[in-house]
Amino acid sequence: MNAFAFAAAALAAAVLVEAFVPDRSAYHAGWYNVALAALLVFLALRAREVTRGAGGVYRTGILTIAFGAGVLGFAGIANGLLAPDPRTLAGVPGQQVALADLGGTIAFPALAGAETPVLLRPGRAPLPVEAQRYVGSAILRTVRRTVVRVEGYDANGAHLTITQPTGSAFLSPVLLMRTTQRIAGLELPFDSFALPAAHRIVNVVLFTAAQVAAMRGIAGPPEPALLFAVDDETDQPLPHSIRFAHSGEIVSDGGVRLRAQVLDYPAIEVIAAPSLPALAAGCALMLVGMAMLLRRNTKTPSRS
Amino acid sequence: MRVLAPWLFAVVAIAIVAVVLVPLFRLAPTRSAGPTGLAGQTAAVVALRDDRGAPVALDRYRGKVVLMNLWASWCPPCRAELPDLQRLWAEDAGRGLVVVGVDQGESAQRARSFASSLGVRFPIWIDADQAYGRAYAALGLPTTVIVDRRGIVANGFDGALTYVQMRAAVAPLLSRR
Repeated sequence: MNAFAFAAAALAAAVLVEAFVPDRSAYHAGWYNVALAALLVFLALRAREVTRGAGGVYRTGILTIAFGAGVLGFAGIANGLLAPDPRTLAGVPGQQVALADLGGTIAFPALAGAETPVLLRPGRAPLPVEAQRYVGSAILRTVRRTVVRVEGYDANGAHLTITQPTGSAFLSPVLLMRTTQRIAGLELPFDSFALPAAHRIVNVVLFTAAQVAAMRGIAGPPEPALLFAVDDETDQPLPHSIRFAHSGEIVSDGGVRLRAQVLDYPAIEVIAAPSLPALAAGCALMLVGMAMLLRRNTKTPSRS
Repeated sequence: MRVLAPWLFAVVAIAIVAVVLVPLFRLAPTRSAGPTGLAGQTAAVVALRDDRGAPVALDRYRGKVVLMNLWASWCPPCRAELPDLQRLWAEDAGRGLVVVGVDQGESAQRARSFASSLGVRFPIWIDADQAYGRAYAALGLPTTVIVDRRGIVANGFDGALTYVQMRAAVAPLLSRR
């Protein structure tokens, strides 16, 4: 009985830890899942052993616990072996990005406002993802990323359309800065956008405040800054078209005026976790089984 | 004592397997990318200003069929399409059709002078933040979205439409009350 209880508790703990401390590579390692499977087999054998010849509430309780632990173990192994790797879902303000794992989309908020991404699923109420949400077989976690909001003006000061032909949203003035470029030994966030009306393509490199502070000859406060490099529409660099600008500063470059603001904006980290309904069912079965055993134990003395 | 009948055990086990495994093999939503995937959704309402600076919003046209055309003056297909939109609006405004041109990211002055040069008389809205471009998942310009009398997106189109295509898209909605 002790070995059975220990195996059931160990199995439950090993699976529940995947839900409460998610995003650990160990859960997807072969040894972890082999250990879960071994515990499952051991539990089944012990359950068979301890119920041999027994009957009534005791047998039902033991089998219910074993079944609940089996559900938990199965959910844990399925998560460990089949679930996708963690990933970050980034989107620009107002964009909806598909989240296939949950059969829905994440709606990214406006720059000004509540700034909480919302999970939209057909036939269900919108679900704001504030800090962390356990939904189905995934944990959604809001993380903050640095994005850059850009504005472009022609020589007369008229506002220009920003497009991102290779970005996640064609008509977005917000750059997600998802790629990096190596400059002077630093891996720096990089993105680009087009100003079709001015026939210009603008490459943008982001420097952190610390990197700016470490540079010689850069005036101004230590705050994030950007490097603009303006090309013509065939991607050929224009002469003298590289400019350094602090966040919010307007600079003239390549025949256009540019302004960029470095901002914090939410993204969603999607971390696979054991199926929540299966966890709930497994835990409930184990608790019911334990309650049956406790009830039997408390009744036994009065009978003897 | 038998705890569970074998068939009941099998049903419970299969249900649990399904609950655990189905989410791991869930297919991506079938909604297609871009404005064509918007059909059936409530049309986004973004507070904007028109080319004269007056506040405007899509919900003021509830009860009418609205053809929203996202455009910009630098876009050659948009230039080609605007006269047909003007013709459609002139012919069907009396039947409850509203055509709205939503300039993406340009100044009101540029949008107004460009539209005037093409003889456009329908409302021009200025979307400096290009919010409708993202709300309607525009893959390029022009993008056209047709909203029915209840405020639901009936159709979304990527790229320029011919006059015949525009008419075919709005006609069934105009005939519905």
